[in-house]
Amino acid sequence: MTTTAGTRPPRSSAGAAHAAKRRGPRTEALWGYAFIAPTGLGLAVFYLWPVLQTAYFSFTEWGAFGGHTWVGLENYTRLIADPEVGRAMLNTLMYTALGLIGIPVAIVFAALMNRQGLRGVSVYRTAFFLPVVTMPVAVAMLWRWLYNGDYGLVNQVLSIAGIDGPNWIADPATAMYALVVVGIWSSVGYNLIIFLAGMQGIPKELYEAASMDGAGRVRQFFRITLPMLSPTAFFISIVSVIGSLQLFDLVFVMTGSGQSARANPAYSRLQTVVQLFYERAFVTNDRGYAAAIVIALLVLIAALTVAQFRLQRKWVHYV
Amino acid sequence: MWKSARSGAALLCAALLASACGGGEQAGGTDAQPGEKVTLSYGVWDATQQAVMQELAAEFTKTHPDVTVNVQLTPWADYWTKMKAAVTGGAAPDVFWMNGPNFQLYASNGVIKPIEEQVDTSVYPKALVDLYTYEGKLYGLPKDMDTVGVWYNKTLFDQAKVKYPADDWTWADFKESAAKLTDPDKGVYAVGAELTSFQEYQYNTIYQAGGHVISPDGKKSGYDDPKTIQGLKFWTDLIAAKQSPDLKTMTDTAPLQLFEAGKLAMYWGGSWNVAEFGKNDYTKDKVDVAPLPKGEKQATIIHGVANVVSAKTEHPAEALELVKFLGSKPAADILGKKGPIPAYNGTQNDWVAAHPEWKLQTFLDSVAYAVPYPVSKNTAAWQEAELTHLTKAWTGEVPVEKAAADLAAGMNDLLAKE
Amino acid sequence: MSERRPLGVHAILAVSSLLMVAPFVWQIITSLKTLSSTTAVPPTFLPEGRWDNYAKVFDLLPFGEQFLNTVIMAAGRVTGQVLFCSMAAYAFARLRFPGRNLLFGVFLSVLMVPPQLFVIPQYQIMSSLGWLNSLQAIIVPGLFSAFGVFLLRQFFLALPREIEEAARLDGAGPVRIYWSVMLPLARPGLIALGILTLLWAWNDLFWPLVVNTDPEKMTLSAGLAALQGQYQTDYPVLMAGSLIASLPVIAVFVFLQRQFIQGVAHTGSKG
Repeated sequence: MTTTAGTRPPRSSAGAAHAAKRRGPRTEALWGYAFIAPTGLGLAVFYLWPVLQTAYFSFTEWGAFGGHTWVGLENYTRLIADPEVGRAMLNTLMYTALGLIGIPVAIVFAALMNRQGLRGVSVYRTAFFLPVVTMPVAVAMLWRWLYNGDYGLVNQVLSIAGIDGPNWIADPATAMYALVVVGIWSSVGYNLIIFLAGMQGIPKELYEAASMDGAGRVRQFFRITLPMLSPTAFFISIVSVIGSLQLFDLVFVMTGSGQSARANPAYSRLQTVVQLFYERAFVTNDRGYAAAIVIALLVLIAALTVAQFRLQRKWVHYV
Repeated sequence: MWKSARSGAALLCAALLASACGGGEQAGGTDAQPGEKVTLSYGVWDATQQAVMQELAAEFTKTHPDVTVNVQLTPWADYWTKMKAAVTGGAAPDVFWMNGPNFQLYASNGVIKPIEEQVDTSVYPKALVDLYTYEGKLYGLPKDMDTVGVWYNKTLFDQAKVKYPADDWTWADFKESAAKLTDPDKGVYAVGAELTSFQEYQYNTIYQAGGHVISPDGKKSGYDDPKTIQGLKFWTDLIAAKQSPDLKTMTDTAPLQLFEAGKLAMYWGGSWNVAEFGKNDYTKDKVDVAPLPKGEKQATIIHGVANVVSAKTEHPAEALELVKFLGSKPAADILGKKGPIPAYNGTQNDWVAAHPEWKLQTFLDSVAYAVPYPVSKNTAAWQEAELTHLTKAWTGEVPVEKAAADLAAGMNDLLAKE
Repeated sequence: MSERRPLGVHAILAVSSLLMVAPFVWQIITSLKTLSSTTAVPPTFLPEGRWDNYAKVFDLLPFGEQFLNTVIMAAGRVTGQVLFCSMAAYAFARLRFPGRNLLFGVFLSVLMVPPQLFVIPQYQIMSSLGWLNSLQAIIVPGLFSAFGVFLLRQFFLALPREIEEAARLDGAGPVRIYWSVMLPLARPGLIALGILTLLWAWNDLFWPLVVNTDPEKMTLSAGLAALQGQYQTDYPVLMAGSLIASLPVIAVFVFLQRQFIQGVAHTGSKG
């Protein structure tokens, strides 16, 4: 591995502002718009437009096959009074909070794998990535077996220690935690490759300098890796929080298929907002109400995202 | 307002495509057919029947040389969601499969066409014709049917020295056998009181007890009827007596799995389980089937799939011809050899003959006292309520009477909104 | 640098790797079982060598066509996203223009919407464009990604500004800086986005299934869903099918991770 220091162009720090000025802010702005245009238009048509439509429909009674009548705020007043909505929001927030544990886990593993010269790293990386690639049915089947109250491996191991384990995903007391474990387990590999990519971007000279100053690995990790990685960590945290708040598939496959999930005794502890949205929109044909639920969720997600952006000044280091 | 905005979006898309993909390839032209050649799309959900459906389609083309039928398979898990998108987007298949719970929703919204022509419906079980009749109009012709029976494990019966179920057995006989078949030491239960499949479990016992799920006019819930509650207690009593696994256990391991592992002596299942039990090495030569036990009366739930015509089809005449053909005797003869029980009376012998080792005639004989699958305009809404409320009765959290009363109230609210 | 305690590191990584590989191994074991032993209670952990499950998969699926469709779709989406997202991300990270933060917020808001919401509206758009049952229907909406823009923006923000400034002093405009300076520097990020987009495109099941009806316009994942319809609870066949379907993605990952680890080591000399 060559270091990059020698081949870098000479540093200049004062020239930047002048250079930008020379082009003129107008040209720069035009280029800015041009660069974002393709994605901007595509997102507007295929993603923003449906959201605006849905926002409109949340004020209507929306027929199963189209057609709608204006009902004003009715869906929203119903939503506030609906105990299922409150419960689903609470479950979703709890899952989101617990799911954040996955971020430090991914950073630690990424740091372990990012060591130069460690043999077999590519095998480990692939292993961690496999859950991300594996068919969700396989993941669900395996974990359902592991968690099975009578025959599952988890309880078999516990029984050696004399503990009589619960029906993990059917017991209201344990179901949420059991789900969080699967959630973290299946997303670690995905976060890991983003963190690894982030670590690749940290200039090697920083470590070399620190090493010469006698800083050990752990110290380097906290003094260099973590701060330099903070923009990536910020990204992952935003995306994980949004992803957790949108939780659906995992609950859907783990708790039983489709409507029968409601026959799970732990359902009231597992039901998420998106699941409720799905049920109203696609199962019980209550689409106007479903639209209101999803808009409420959007407001919650937006609030949490804005809060994170506000807080980023406190911990994220940009170059 | 939103129509014009939509075409605006379409324009934007077109512009976008031109810039992003350098024109791209032209969309596959919609069939604006010159001459009389017509292609009908036919939406189905069962992959195991895809081949038979294609055979039937080819058969139809023989007698209607100008019409080609394109069988479009969408797996069950996504079928109704896709259908919703397709109907909303104005692109539903010309002819497609319909089931009981969804039928009135589609009929009442006018997205499927009633069959205006006189058709002889006496050749189908009456319960199925009624199922697909809405406000006095018939909308679909039944293609197949299914009823429910008790599959039982002969080995476990032998080991417990219990007589195999007789054709005229009663609830009392069932309960007596259940007590003897339960063997906690071996982890064997008599039966799994499954909560998730009302068609095979609760609906049957509700009607056997003399109760009802929904009033004949589809406006009132039957869950506050004491007899209906008897039908529910049939199951919760079994759980309480530990002759059925509890709900948590059945959530972890479904009754079907337990039955196929020799942990359940009986399994209430449909005629559609034939394929499953025939493939499974364990059940293949250990099980047989008996009629459901008689309560106050005999009852089994009958259901069947029908073929319906999209209201927006460009070829209504050809589509109706296809539906009539699929509901005809020649079609039923082909279906009976390879698929489920055909709905056309008198064509079911091939289906029974396929498994001489089982008393499959049971499923046909029970049609005489079969009750149609209970439905209303928005069946899915109160089916969800059934699960929500009865889960609490099944876990024992709430007495059955209370859960049923709550369910009746909730269901009545939902029915009032239909 | 001295390698202290590599044994400890290996032990941690090996044990956790085993945990990670478990479902995959389970998938392989299941794919080689008979149907009745998959429903065995309690489960058995020994494979049984039933290779006919794999034969059934090849019998049922029009593999060639669906594989090709999947490759075209995935390639289209990956190329589109890597290009478009990196352009937008560069603009948001480095160029100044009025409304930048607002627009970025709007982009981000797309990320916040649960994907289940888009099904019916996007179907209607496709329907009014006459694109139902076509390859572009499964590619075009996947060309744009708020996630990708955000991911790469964070990468660009973390890159040192010096190289870029040097290029600017040499008179390079935004296009040249983006293309010959920023893109090479962001290579690990581009590859990461590429891998993830590939994975999502490869596994995208619902959309191809909803928007396309002909089997020859479908992707492998939709083919798998059909397999699932046919073999419902026949998990051995399902697992065999999904193993075959996911092997290409795993192969690409193994190949790309080398590229991606070399990442920045290269770019210094290129800039």
